[in-house]
Amino acid sequence: MRFRFCGDLDCPDWVLAEISTLARISSVKVKLLCVQVIKDLLDEGIDYDKVSKLTADAKFEIGDVKASIAVLSFILTSAAKHDVDSESLSSELQQLGLPKEHTTGLCKSYEDKHSALQEKLRESSLRLGRLEAVNWRVDYTLSSSEIKQVNEPTVQLRLQAQDPETDSTETTVVSITADKFRVLLTELKQAQTMMNALQ
Amino acid sequence: MLLVLSEEHKEHLGFLSEVDPAVVGEFGRIAVEFLKKGSNPKIYEGAARKLNVPSESVQHGVEGLMYLLTESSKLMISEVDFQDSVLVLGFSEELNQLLLQLYLENRKEIRQILGKLAPSLPHYHNLEWRLDVHLASRALRHQVKPTVTLKLHLEDGARHSSHVLQTDPATLQHLIQELERALAELKSNHCRRILRNIK
Repeated sequence: MRFRFCGDLDCPDWVLAEISTLARISSVKVKLLCVQVIKDLLDEGIDYDKVSKLTADAKFEIGDVKASIAVLSFILTSAAKHDVDSESLSSELQQLGLPKEHTTGLCKSYEDKHSALQEKLRESSLRLGRLEAVNWRVDYTLSSSEIKQVNEPTVQLRLQAQDPETDSTETTVVSITADKFRVLLTELKQAQTMMNALQ
Repeated sequence: MLLVLSEEHKEHLGFLSEVDPAVVGEFGRIAVEFLKKGSNPKIYEGAARKLNVPSESVQHGVEGLMYLLTESSKLMISEVDFQDSVLVLGFSEELNQLLLQLYLENRKEIRQILGKLAPSLPHYHNLEWRLDVHLASRALRHQVKPTVTLKLHLEDGARHSSHVLQTDPATLQHLIQELERALAELKSNHCRRILRNIK
């Protein structure tokens, strides 16, 4: 059975099992639990006390609480990842056995935060070595130990980038002569035109 | 096979015969706690004060118990062998029974903890990936080259390392085929025969 929210693949067995766990708490509580899980996915912090209060009535053990948070995170992230609209999500969850009221609550929360979730996922996509800051300075060299009259402008560039393997910030300082800098600028402008054409 | 206890070990455990069996039970519980979470010297002080003995004897007693339990669990000795090995210490029958119970109840867990102490290679922690299309470079415009960028996170105890790799889709397909072939190897007759014999 292929499901759109799983990316046109089979639904994992553990999700099927935990959907029946979710069905044990009332639909209002599932909606509130969804809100907490979405806050966690958007890095706003999850309030574990509220979660345990919500699940205390159904006498969930610690394993069940973890499982329900995990299954809600999976459903919401997968649905946002594969850009599933809330009606398809609703029908697929009902096919998997989640009662109608629970599904409606879940899909309403999903629809509200759909774009915020996608933004967050887009930000956390793999990116190697981000450029963090660029500083520059133009100098004019008057003379040096080699020759008395130099009279040349130079650009000093300081680039702060993130190292892809260690995730720490690395600073590189380069000094460029006027001609080389003109070449660099032209090439970068060509790349910029190409990027703008794609926007 | 019998455990051979050194003279020093026997001396340390000799302290246990001088106290109540209830206290020995308590020491046993503390020994198992220490094996799970690491030792806490303050507990020795408290126990020593209550029993009016030097804290060193308490420490030796608990550590002797810990060593006895780890050695027996490591070698997975049977009940009979354990009882014979403990007979050497000249404890009362009640104490012997107590130690046997302690061994049998905690054997599995101690073996799990000991299993984690073996040296290991870095293992898989997380894989992030990204699909890009290479459109143009400084040297050549109007290209269409799909590439897959992978960031493999490995974990080795406390050390996390990450490796950035890049591949084209054809190599990735080949990689997937090889890995699936490796997985399928488990189902071959040869492997099945060996696994049956081990179990």
